[in-house]
Amino acid sequence: MRLPRFEFLKPASLEESLGLLEKSGRKAKVLAGGTDLLVNMKYGVLRPETVVSIKAIPELCSISSEKDGQTIIGASVTLSDLAGNSLIAERFPAFQLAVRSVASKHIRNMASLGGNICFDTRCWYYNQSKLWRDARELCHRTGGSVCHAIKGSKRCHAINASDTAPALIALDAKIAVMKKGQKRLIPAKEFYRDDGIRHTVLEPEEMVTSIQLPEGNGNSQSTFIKVSMRKGIDFATGSIAAAASVNGKGVAGVRLVVGSIASAPVLLEKTAQLIIESGLTEKSIEKAAETARSELGTLTNLFTTAGYKRHLAEVLVKRALSELKEKIGRARK
Amino acid sequence: MKKILSLTVNGDTYEVAVSPWKTLLDVLRDNLGLMGTKRGCSIGTCGVCTVIIDGKAILSCLTLALECEGKAITTIEGISSEGSLHPVQKSFIENGAIQCGYCSPGIIMTAKALLDENPHPSDDEIKEALAGTFCRCTGHVKIMEAIKKVSQPAGEGASHAPGK
Amino acid sequence: MPRGSEKYSVIGKRQPKLDAVHKATGRSQFTDDVVLPNMLYGKIVRSTIPRGKILSIDTSRAERVPGVKAVITHKDTGGLMVGPDQQLLCEDMVYYFGDEVAAVAAVDEETAIEAAGLIKVEYEPLQPLFSIEEATAEGAPVLHQYFEDNYADEVTMNFGDAEKAFAESDHIRVDEFIVNAGHNTFAEHHVVIADFTLPNKLSVWTPIQSALLIQKSMAQDFGLPESNVRILSLNTGGAFSGKPSARPHHSIAALLSRKSGRPVKIRITADEEFIVCRSGSRGKFTLKTGVKKDGTLKAVEADILHDCGAYIEIQFIMLRFFGLSLQLLYKLDAERYRGRLVYTNNPPYFFPHGGGLVGLRFAFDSQFDLIARDLGLDPVEMRLKNAVDKGYTTLSKTHYASCGLKECIRKTAKTSGWKKKYGKLPPFRGIGIGCGVINSGGKGLYDHDTSAAFLKIGEDGRVSLFTGLPDMGQGSHTTMAMIAAETLGIVPEDITVISGDTDIAPMDIGAFSQRGTFTTGNAVKVAALDARKQLEKTASKKFGTRPSALVFRDKKVYPKGTPEKAVSFEDVVSDTLHSQEGRYVMGRGFYNPPTERTDPVTYEGNATLAFSFGAQIAEVEVDPETGIVKLLNMTVAHDVGRAINPLAVEGQLDGQVFSGMAQTLFEECIMENGMVLNSSPVEYKLPRPFEIPEIAHIIVETNDPYGPYGAKEVGEGPIMCTAQAIANAVSNAIGYPVKELPITPERVLQALRQKGKNHAPKK
Repeated sequence: MRLPRFEFLKPASLEESLGLLEKSGRKAKVLAGGTDLLVNMKYGVLRPETVVSIKAIPELCSISSEKDGQTIIGASVTLSDLAGNSLIAERFPAFQLAVRSVASKHIRNMASLGGNICFDTRCWYYNQSKLWRDARELCHRTGGSVCHAIKGSKRCHAINASDTAPALIALDAKIAVMKKGQKRLIPAKEFYRDDGIRHTVLEPEEMVTSIQLPEGNGNSQSTFIKVSMRKGIDFATGSIAAAASVNGKGVAGVRLVVGSIASAPVLLEKTAQLIIESGLTEKSIEKAAETARSELGTLTNLFTTAGYKRHLAEVLVKRALSELKEKIGRARK
Repeated sequence: MKKILSLTVNGDTYEVAVSPWKTLLDVLRDNLGLMGTKRGCSIGTCGVCTVIIDGKAILSCLTLALECEGKAITTIEGISSEGSLHPVQKSFIENGAIQCGYCSPGIIMTAKALLDENPHPSDDEIKEALAGTFCRCTGHVKIMEAIKKVSQPAGEGASHAPGK
Repeated sequence: MPRGSEKYSVIGKRQPKLDAVHKATGRSQFTDDVVLPNMLYGKIVRSTIPRGKILSIDTSRAERVPGVKAVITHKDTGGLMVGPDQQLLCEDMVYYFGDEVAAVAAVDEETAIEAAGLIKVEYEPLQPLFSIEEATAEGAPVLHQYFEDNYADEVTMNFGDAEKAFAESDHIRVDEFIVNAGHNTFAEHHVVIADFTLPNKLSVWTPIQSALLIQKSMAQDFGLPESNVRILSLNTGGAFSGKPSARPHHSIAALLSRKSGRPVKIRITADEEFIVCRSGSRGKFTLKTGVKKDGTLKAVEADILHDCGAYIEIQFIMLRFFGLSLQLLYKLDAERYRGRLVYTNNPPYFFPHGGGLVGLRFAFDSQFDLIARDLGLDPVEMRLKNAVDKGYTTLSKTHYASCGLKECIRKTAKTSGWKKKYGKLPPFRGIGIGCGVINSGGKGLYDHDTSAAFLKIGEDGRVSLFTGLPDMGQGSHTTMAMIAAETLGIVPEDITVISGDTDIAPMDIGAFSQRGTFTTGNAVKVAALDARKQLEKTASKKFGTRPSALVFRDKKVYPKGTPEKAVSFEDVVSDTLHSQEGRYVMGRGFYNPPTERTDPVTYEGNATLAFSFGAQIAEVEVDPETGIVKLLNMTVAHDVGRAINPLAVEGQLDGQVFSGMAQTLFEECIMENGMVLNSSPVEYKLPRPFEIPEIAHIIVETNDPYGPYGAKEVGEGPIMCTAQAIANAVSNAIGYPVKELPITPERVLQALRQKGKNHAPKK
């Protein structure tokens, strides 16, 4: 469990960094906090020739409030700094809750938001040392053609266990991504791909530079729930981020995003639509939970059984919608 | 190719020749002979390698040595001064919070970082800080007690001076 | 620390550990902190298949890597067998994923890993077996060629007349319980440094529970006199039954050292820990228990199967523990027992924390509660009815000179508010009780259970105490110092405990079987008395009194009733040295309990003088939607004879309740094809601070007549009670029996679904 050899570069500016990534392409990996990349390098599943540290790039380290009401968070801002930031607490409490639930405080002191939204997918058969993996056939992700998680599957089912990803999708955030000569602004829900291998739309020469959260309006509420075996350290067994706003007609703009059960956060569009049509009542919440089950797709037995994941998603939808109902009710008073 | 790294640990500056793939933990133990910081899971989940950098509890097994140029690093060897123990160390000893002792340096550093930032944490805040460590010997029970005793609000027998 | 005016000046005081300051400052040296001159680093090459033939091993590329100083395979071992079924390095068969096949020593770990990766082993896989069921099925291949089947060991015990006792029973229940594989998860991974550079002297640095066991087996491995094998263990970073004896990496490091002519360190890395660590295995407990309708136990018949993994090693101990343990806690008329170990191609197992008895006690005491429910009896009352007592002799002729079991039950019931809560809690809140017992040492491994100790006293009155007992965190060295301090009338801070080197320390079988406080404690007391006698001679001359009229207390010596005449302890020591005789005071002693090993056929015999007893009550809350169990609080009572150091005793209660809770609700190695899927601290769920319950301690002291100052063990007694207290609480909360550990959220939901199907009886 040691790091392999690599070339280490530490650019002092964004421009320099993008130049290095363009030159190295697939042979380089961006290093922010190191709590994801270095772990996978020690497991031997990632062996970049070059590691580009972005810690010294000042533009990536700030949190700012823009004139148009947006909040912009630099990709290198640590999760600890975000968890303690009063602006985030005031504007996006559910998002801050998601940030604060990532891993442990030790990890959050080092890990960056950009790193967490790009957090590599996980699988029992992949996140293991070489000794362990040599005992099995190579899988889709390690250069073979089988999936150990779902026997016979032609694709990779590794799980996206990022806690911030569902929250950012629910809040309609945008991810700013750059490569040399090009900047893209990608809505969070389009940033992820339902694929255990290429789980984001990032190209090899691209890097995340900031995350943009839209101006909240006084009529919206959001919530985040993470269920895990142990508190304060574990990946989620399942998580949910939910957001809703209220207008004159009723509930609008509902977003329900379940995390940590599939290769991408699952946006429950049918379920959300049901709530928009029926409003937030006890009956509609029960119905929504049932509907959610059908939107989940194929689930694996990674970490917990598929049956448990499906059941848990139902419970999470019920609880998140109930919380939203309560928050909206309190805000009205 | 090795680089010459200037590292400041516990107030002393060292020059070491280091390969990029060496972690801070490797350098502290193998180059500087500071064995108080321990090796454990090596993937950031057990906390025995905890040191303090810029006031924060940091996992040295996941920190590249080269990233520590110009940073002030504190290890377990650096928190007692002139023969007298840090209040956290004293409290751990007096309250039976140390059994086998392997996790103790990492947990003491974690506790110190917490109390420097938040001198009177709630029970949940202490648990949150400690959740990145594990201790089967004590089950964390007397560890929690030891930290609570040293973090009582001023006027209630506080023995901890906030700050470094 | 104020010294009191009670009976004892040291015993019973809350004493911080004497070595705590070294551990708090990072000064304490653990094996990986040791760097020897010229030291090499070793890496083991392990099988990547669970079962098969080795067709070829090619080490040529590895040998050519610059910096590699030794490469070994089976041919370098002289055919060394480290068990009846186990070669040190596999020659033509491998039996589990991770089985040791070859090893490399090089100038640094990176080179050793690189070279190990270049050793090519060609295998022909054979059909592996991964469970008790597969291995005992009709037609299953026999895994070890010299055996007829896959049963690695079998023990039967018959006490009393089971047929008669069952015939006299009004109610009989049969239940099956399952425990799953786990890992001891200590903070310090396995590690060894071997220096075999001199032909007849082998020095080994390693964390230990017993230096003697490692010394003996390595001496045997290399044909050396035992005293030529030096075991050094400065500190052990947690053991929990996981570091009792030599493992293959010990002798592999020694061979690499001998071949290279340099010391060799082998670190077992995080991924290898789930292969190397011989921990708890999956077990099935089928219990048939007969009772009278008033709840009096009559008989128990147990059939226990445990997965042995690839090699038996020292697991045979477990089957003997199980059989004897069944009849230690409650009065019984009869016991019939069969225990079997089954070979599989899983890694070799041994004990989780609690010696494998956590599973047995969970099974027995959970069924006890089911019986109580069947009969409409209160579980606490039914336990009081059946609990053993002081003066009781069990079916196997074990005699209890002290027993606080009933006191523990009554006190936990009162403190926890049992009567107000049992049967009266809201839905999905539950309360449960569990009781346990364990021996304080005892004869089993050898025909003696000897610990020895000696001490020397400096002219300044300070003492060096030499013991072979390791301190793995349980505070044994501080306890020994307190016993010596009490006996000599000084303070523990004036005693330096010296241990951890078999060249220096006197013999001690080691820190397992819960023998430290009782056996080594008695040896230390004998040694201290020996030294005291010599000082009494000097002081009695000075005061003109009989030696028996002298008081040694608070660093002073005086005739009884006249403290104003006191002289300092230091002065008495100095006077003894500066006398005509010029005596330098040293004390020596050993203790071998006056017991006998159990009969190898009938298993009868009083092998242990003292047992600790306990009762624990747990309260839980179950989330019926997610299945997650929250342990709210534990009330913990333990009869420790005498709490020599209440601070350390509480620490033991806490740690074991935590560990018991962990095994009950969280810990499981998820196995697939002989490999652990969740092999990292983030996937293997050892709980963290948010999971700890409120714990109320009740220390019960029954002042055992044989223990030093009345003390008995506390090293593994408390964990004997925890699992079943929690399991019974969960069963109470969900209204359905829980029969498999750990009680994961999925198993809770499964139980609730089953209850819904079966319309299980009301709470």
